Amino acid sequence: MNNMIEIKNLHVDIGDKSILKGLNLSLEAGKVHVIMGPNGAGKSTLSKAIVGHYDVSVKEGEILYKGKSILEEAPEVRALNGIFMSFQNPVEVPGVNNAYFLRTAVNAKRVFEGKEELNAAEFLRASKNIAKELGMKPELINRSLNEGFSGGEKKRNETLQMLMLEPDFIILDEIDSGLDIDALRAVSEGINTIKDGKRTFLIITHYSRILEYVEPDFVHVLKDGKIIKTAGPELVAELEEKGYTTLEES
Amino acid sequence: MQILTLKEGLETLQSFQTKETATAFSRLAELTLPTKKTEGYRYFDIDTLFSKKWQLYRAKKVEISVSDIVEIVDGIVVSAPKEVLVSYSTKRDIDTEHFDALYYLGHILSPEVIQLDCKSDAKIKIVHRFTQASVLLAYRLQIQTSPNISLHIAESFEGCDAKDTFVLYGYDLHVQRDARVEMIKDETLIEGSYTPIYSNFIELEAQSVANIFSFDFGNADGLQLLKAKLEENSTFNAKHLLYAQGNGKRGTISHIVHTQKNAKSFQMAKNILQDKAKGIFDALIKIEKEGGGTKAYQNSQAVLLNDGAYMVSKPQLEIYIDDVEASHGSSIGELDEEQLFYLRSRGIPLQEAKKILILAFANEIIDAIEEKEIQESVHISFENVYYGQSQLECMLSCHNCSDTIIGEQS
Repeated sequence: MNNMIEIKNLHVDIGDKSILKGLNLSLEAGKVHVIMGPNGAGKSTLSKAIVGHYDVSVKEGEILYKGKSILEEAPEVRALNGIFMSFQNPVEVPGVNNAYFLRTAVNAKRVFEGKEELNAAEFLRASKNIAKELGMKPELINRSLNEGFSGGEKKRNETLQMLMLEPDFIILDEIDSGLDIDALRAVSEGINTIKDGKRTFLIITHYSRILEYVEPDFVHVLKDGKIIKTAGPELVAELEEKGYTTLEES
Repeated sequence: MQILTLKEGLETLQSFQTKETATAFSRLAELTLPTKKTEGYRYFDIDTLFSKKWQLYRAKKVEISVSDIVEIVDGIVVSAPKEVLVSYSTKRDIDTEHFDALYYLGHILSPEVIQLDCKSDAKIKIVHRFTQASVLLAYRLQIQTSPNISLHIAESFEGCDAKDTFVLYGYDLHVQRDARVEMIKDETLIEGSYTPIYSNFIELEAQSVANIFSFDFGNADGLQLLKAKLEENSTFNAKHLLYAQGNGKRGTISHIVHTQKNAKSFQMAKNILQDKAKGIFDALIKIEKEGGGTKAYQNSQAVLLNDGAYMVSKPQLEIYIDDVEASHGSSIGELDEEQLFYLRSRGIPLQEAKKILILAFANEIIDAIEEKEIQESVHISFENVYYGQSQLECMLSCHNCSDTIIGEQS
């Protein structure tokens, strides 16, 4: 089995609070993985640890991405190597033009991969086409990054970034929260567009709504800082029915 | 050429007294010339400037040729557009309640003021050029609008050759009823060239609007003193962007005075301090008893790019009536960590991400300029300074290289 991510005995603190307590998780490449779990279980902390967020402090354990440890790597290096996280609450950055930001990011990745940079026209053409497919208002491309965007617009913008950056490993941290049905459908279609059997997805969610549009291969349950169960998509229905309290660590 | 040591006090200025500057003399006598002690709170080294023996430089007046810009060389107008009425005048409208002695000193040392009369809508570019080294250069501009006109004035400054010169300049801007003025100062200072202290007075008649921008960049010392007097229903917007580097001390000292009812003032200062630079924002909004219905807001934000950078921020409100809306605030800190992380998480390297956020911080002020051509020119000024020392050095010997540099970057 070829794993995109291998997490071994991961202990992570935020501030002086221990959140992840010996988490083990393997994410098979090319598959769609879902992490579900109660509030405060450590789902977002796990995603932050993978992308190198400054909030988290890894005390013990290992995260291997494509077989190599990434714990010492800067967030931008992880991103350039193909890790992407869609933020739960993307920060607003007044004064930074959305298109300028995304073109800078896309070209940083292209340079890293030894490709030619996209010029402004090429970039705008590509980004506007994708934005249109996502149902984004065209003017959002030229606005300040996330500033004044509604919840749905922010999530669509995250999806636009994902589609433009073409990452190998994609973490979607509660991408379905706060979305109306149209936005959920558009974002899901965006995800399905780049599901190619090679990319790996980690969908963090409280709800099964998005899973009606994006079919998972594996469902992992995170509780009290550990993965307590891994199963197929049938687990979603079980969790919907019985909740997390009845699950025991397997 | 007269020799002056300002520290010696009013006696040294007696020979400048005229009928027109009598008010300035009496006010200066009341306020007294600044000393190291009285200016200490401003963190600006006035004592060194005042202790020096200065040659007061006066260029000869020349015939004013026609050009697209108003060009003032060493305090003398050498060219101006045909439609701009330029003259010299001994008469001037001096603010009798200006808070700063240097405003009056500037008037006293300027026997004549340059008068710009604007009778219809106009867009005026003023370039101030300083060519003399080691002199005291004092001159003033008086700008008078007609009622109900729209005026855009962009001022820029060049003085690479004026090493160790002290420039005491300023303007008195009288915005008549229902007129609207946008006034923009764009100045990059380079260590070893001139030291400017500019003292301005802006008087807003009823229902007039003034949008004042100052863009103060570079690694040398400079200070601007600003007083605005607001009459009924007038609006005063002041936006200041400061980016100081090296050992530069740079800042704004202002008094915005609401003298009549229902006037509005908005003042925003953004300060970026690098190396051992020191930024100064010492600003007062005063609402007098007659200022009912006033709305006044003031805010200063500073980003310190490294240890050793320093910001002095002193926002103040002085209110003599209840029926007003007023607020002030000040923040000093580093770049927003969450924003920085967001950019890095998309593969943008740390240093590039920092630059993007700094540009964004600055752009909020620059993008508020109405005139797009001027907005673009200020963007270039900022980026010239921001993207490295090599360009600053280049500007020392070359006035026209910025286009090439920017072209290469893109």
